[in-house]
Amino acid sequence: MSVHDVIVVGAGAGGGVAAGVLAEAGKSVLLIERGRELACEDVPRDHLRNHRYTRYGHNTGPSLEGNPRVWVDLDGREHTLRPHEDAYQNNATGVGGGARVYGAQAWRYLPGDFEMASTYGVPAGSSLADWPIGYADVAPYYDRAEWEIGVSGDSVGSAKQWPRDKDYPMPPVPLNRQGAIVRRGAEALGWPTLAVPLLINSTPYAGRPACIHCQHCIGFACPVDAKNDSQNTLLARARATGRAEVVTEAMVEQVDTVGGRVVGVTYVDRDDQRQHARAEVVVLAAGAIETARLLLNSTSSEHPHGLGNAHDQVGRNLQGHYYPGAVGLMSEQVHDGVGPGVTTAITKFNHGNPDVIGGGMIADEFVVLPIIFWARNLPPDLPRWGAEAKRFMRDNYTRVARVMGPVQEIPSPDARVTLDPTVRDRWGIPVVRLSGATHPETVRTAEFMYARAGEWLAASGAQRIWGSPPRLKLSGGQHQAGTARMGDDPASSVTDRWSRVHGHDNLYVADGSVHVTNGGFNPVLTIMALAFRAAEHIARAW
Amino acid sequence: MLSMLTEAQQDTLRALVDRIIPADDFPGGWEAGVGDYLDRQFAGDLSHVVDDYRIGLDWLEAEACATTGTSFAALAATAQDEVLRRVEQGDVVVDCPVDPAAFFRAAAEHAAEGFYGDPGNGGNSNGVSWRMIGFEVTG
Ligand SMILES: Cc1cc2nc3c(=O)[nH]c(=O)nc-3n(C[C@H](O)[C@H](O)[C@H](O)COP(=O)(O)OP(=O)(O)OC[C@H]3O[C@@H](n4cnc5c(N)ncnc54)[C@H](O)[C@@H]3O)c2cc1C
Repeated sequence: MSVHDVIVVGAGAGGGVAAGVLAEAGKSVLLIERGRELACEDVPRDHLRNHRYTRYGHNTGPSLEGNPRVWVDLDGREHTLRPHEDAYQNNATGVGGGARVYGAQAWRYLPGDFEMASTYGVPAGSSLADWPIGYADVAPYYDRAEWEIGVSGDSVGSAKQWPRDKDYPMPPVPLNRQGAIVRRGAEALGWPTLAVPLLINSTPYAGRPACIHCQHCIGFACPVDAKNDSQNTLLARARATGRAEVVTEAMVEQVDTVGGRVVGVTYVDRDDQRQHARAEVVVLAAGAIETARLLLNSTSSEHPHGLGNAHDQVGRNLQGHYYPGAVGLMSEQVHDGVGPGVTTAITKFNHGNPDVIGGGMIADEFVVLPIIFWARNLPPDLPRWGAEAKRFMRDNYTRVARVMGPVQEIPSPDARVTLDPTVRDRWGIPVVRLSGATHPETVRTAEFMYARAGEWLAASGAQRIWGSPPRLKLSGGQHQAGTARMGDDPASSVTDRWSRVHGHDNLYVADGSVHVTNGGFNPVLTIMALAFRAAEHIARAW
Repeated sequence: MLSMLTEAQQDTLRALVDRIIPADDFPGGWEAGVGDYLDRQFAGDLSHVVDDYRIGLDWLEAEACATTGTSFAALAATAQDEVLRRVEQGDVVVDCPVDPAAFFRAAAEHAAEGFYGDPGNGGNSNGVSWRMIGFEVTG
């Protein structure tokens, strides 16, 4: 049995930050990660198996066998799923977590994103709520995340909407042709644009080089290590202290308690041996779905329904992002191959829209792999075979533009993670059971944003526009959040304003689970910022 | 290659792939390596559909013979396309134990994976489809 000051479960975006802050604060840290260390060459550029196109698998983990989840669809049918199937709601597994292969969009949430219920009211059937903290509480940690992990962005443009004390440490990643074209379209509409902030080096930064603008950014690892996440920053700093031990290919089974008090965790190591580790403080950062599973699996006589679950709140309010968008056939070439590809955002629709709750951001899209273009970007009426299909690919791969973006979801308490009563993973641990759907208001907001995407492409010179209208479904996936939401009232939340599980002074959550709402922006910078904040709080209190 | 299929099935498959992705001034699907892609996948991720291919290819041959009097592979391209258009619409005469339109859709998808996927998957030899569409890998 090993003994540490702190155990962090999960070496993803949030867990790496927590480990770094705590190790530098002088704590001995055990970081336990179920996936592997992933050097760039361990994340293959396989176009049929990656986190953008999972047709036959993906390029990190978890492995396809032995890690099932159960999904109950909207008609009540149960499906036992493997990790690369859509409804599994997977995120990448390995040191770095989702961020090892992410697109690195580095958005802050807007001040209004923390006050959704008081701004819009609570629609019937939804669990929409304000955060117990506001933008001003998180802002200093956004600064830390932007500087200590490394963000390129337009400080002046950003400051028009986000109060900020510090500029971005690097200027924006350069524009490409698609970006220049959609900027002209936005200008014609009178829509202000903002360079998309990215956790990617536009200049050499912190000892690592600038982006080389390759075509395999999102879904893959960076070939020159110019993409920043906690693995190559805060976790590297944790290791440098000599106080952090990182155990990989180790699956945490439960949080252990003695007399109701958290004392450590039980995990299964890479040789399938069960190990017990002990610590003063446990930080869960396994991602919103697996953190909920861990809390639910940690039962004892004092906590018969799992930890933090006295009020049946753990696992509820699962959110992700509807990501409506449109595809347009342009009159000119738009693809110039300059990656990562996402350059230009419209943020004016995040709030203040007539007759919908909240809104979302839209941006031009990353460089698209040819097979993804074939699978998702062809006009609906184009034959999928024959000379015409080949001709379309040949003539138009470089002439199609895409804009899309995340919609702020209206949470439903029925969109949830529970434990499946019968299905077990390869270690015999009860698996996640996913059920429910987002609140219907999310679909209305998504429809509104879907229309804006089309409008933008039309103004940018699209001759023809197509896409798929949003439908009611369960969200989660790569942007999963909300399953251990923060709140001051333990009856309607799982964690307090410091990300500490109600009723436990030494159990924290440092991943997307704590988000009350998930913003109309990609979530990772907020996850990192809140992990800084929670870890500082832990270090300060002891 | 494709030793899990009979020679007749292989002939039909080659002809089918070359109608899904016909040659023009760029190679057709077969020359670009779709067969090599399928060969690998039939021993891997697509092993569960090999039986569907056997059934579907035998059926396509029977359907072509019944409707045109000629083997599918021996038909002219336009006549092959005519047969495939009817398959697509479910307008067929020979009974098939698998849904012919679904088989054809799946085959078209697999051919596209082989043709537009990365050469590491066995098809798209020398990145020929990427050159055709203008997807260049620079780093
Ligand atoms: C292809 C892709 C593109 C993305 N693009 C963006 C983007 O542009 N911008 C953005 O904001 N977000 C993006 N995301 C999402 C972003 O990566 C996630 O929001 C972020 O990684 C979530 O952080 P987290 O700490 O909550 O969880 P994760 O990063 O998922 O980390 C959780 C870690 O815990 C480990 N774990 C889980 N269970 C256990 C267990 N029982 N025992 C031990 N370890 C465990 C997992 O293996 C994982 O490594 C993208 C994700 C992907 C996959």
